[in-house]
Amino acid sequence: MELHSDETIWYFFKKGEANGFSLLFKKYYPQLHVYGLKLSNNQEITEDCLQNFFIQLFEDREKENSIKNLKAYLFVSFKRRLIKQLQKNQKNLPISEAQLFKTNFTFSAEEISIHQEIQFLCTSTLANLINNLSPRQKEVLYLKYYSGMNSSDIAEVMDMNYQSVLNILQKALSKLRKASENQQIKNILKKS
Amino acid sequence: MDNKHKFDLQYFLTDASFKNWAKGLNKNDITYWNNWIQSHPEYLETVENAKSIVTGINFNQNYLSSDKVNNALSEILPKLDIDSSTNKKTKKLRSLNSVIFTSAAAVLLVLISYTSFAYFTNQSTTIHKTNFGEIIDLKLPDGTSVVLNGNSEISYENDNPRLLYLKGEAYFKVKPIPSTNAKFWVVTNDLKVEVLGTQFHVNTRKQKTNVVLDEGSIHLEFKNGEVTKMIPGEMVSFSNDSEKLVHKKVDIKTPYALWRGGTYAFNEIPLEDVMLNLESTYGLEVEYSSDSLKQIPISGGIPNQNLKICIAAIEKATGTRIINKGNILRVQENPIY
Repeated sequence: MELHSDETIWYFFKKGEANGFSLLFKKYYPQLHVYGLKLSNNQEITEDCLQNFFIQLFEDREKENSIKNLKAYLFVSFKRRLIKQLQKNQKNLPISEAQLFKTNFTFSAEEISIHQEIQFLCTSTLANLINNLSPRQKEVLYLKYYSGMNSSDIAEVMDMNYQSVLNILQKALSKLRKASENQQIKNILKKS
Repeated sequence: MDNKHKFDLQYFLTDASFKNWAKGLNKNDITYWNNWIQSHPEYLETVENAKSIVTGINFNQNYLSSDKVNNALSEILPKLDIDSSTNKKTKKLRSLNSVIFTSAAAVLLVLISYTSFAYFTNQSTTIHKTNFGEIIDLKLPDGTSVVLNGNSEISYENDNPRLLYLKGEAYFKVKPIPSTNAKFWVVTNDLKVEVLGTQFHVNTRKQKTNVVLDEGSIHLEFKNGEVTKMIPGEMVSFSNDSEKLVHKKVDIKTPYALWRGGTYAFNEIPLEDVMLNLESTYGLEVEYSSDSLKQIPISGGIPNQNLKICIAAIEKATGTRIINKGNILRVQENPIY
């Protein structure tokens, strides 16, 4: 059960009281924490960055007048901050955003539920397949099905248009579906 | 459905009945779309793609535990410059000597409780008190965390911060000190809780003391001399009237009302009992337009940091209308439902 809408949370947050801050923090800290870990693969940097992010968000709360979509806004601004920090930490070897994501955003078999539409693959095979997708495909899958964002929010977070999000989703999932179908055929052949 | 439509991905994805078909949810939708596909085989590929997007991948979300989130929260709160109104509120403090904050906001209390050890080290007793509807997170000098609910108070002698007196309701996460095996005590009117490292909840309201143990182990010593040991997941109630002890296992089937850092968790608790919690936390009176309303069961989490939000959540959960008029809450049927 979702107790408060984001509008309510943001309203109380903007009032500058501890309760409003706690509401927003409790709802979004866990989500941003996992997202940060997926992006950086580094707990210490993620947590430092998150703390500073929330402090700054609180200090700047009056500047942010009209936030249309709180979740997308938080994800995108936290991501920017985290990437900046990661780049700072690796000043000597500058890395592009693309390189950064190539090494990260991996999923473990435990993170994948066995109740799948793509039912002919075991969770570790599915995890492998997902991990071998392109970084953008992985991030879109993550935002859509792990964080439960809708496609227009994802477009905002990924800084691309709505249609591109759909295309990426379509490509990624059809790859997984094909692998599942192949497995299904193999299973049938084995039996006969 | 006519052919003026462009049957692309977006078309299917924005159609609610298509989503139902993809998830196998609604019989009518399933029949409709099965027929539609048969008569439009040229769109099969797009339909399959749209279906995979709707059903997607089932991830097991592995979010941080609420304990860890609360820890992070209690680390960050003192770093915030919370509201300039802090200055105005300071005037309301009667005297810092008594260390009783009668009308300060929760915000201020959080700040003060973090600094109080610097200011009041020469005082022999430290008292943390909350008003109606306030909640504060405290870190005691020994590293123990306490979440103090509204209208509650804890106090301790500064030379022994591991012996606490509690009135009202609080959640404790005791830091173990393995080197000395130092114990931790919580004393209420009815009982004394003896603790090693552990997490538990004590509620002394309503002529009754409830202790719920989440982790670790504790001993309870009641004022009638009875001693009992608790195991995790257990709830012990001591009633003042009957002077009787009741052990209960907290599980999905037993009705319970628990409080954890800012949220009440209820399981099949009648509205009347839920409102009793509000009465003691916020200092309110509750009226009902009919007695049948009292029995509506509630399950789920109700946040209690803010009365407005709390009432809204209860209204939603019970389908009633609750009107707040000068400290009296009137519960009535909601004509919309």
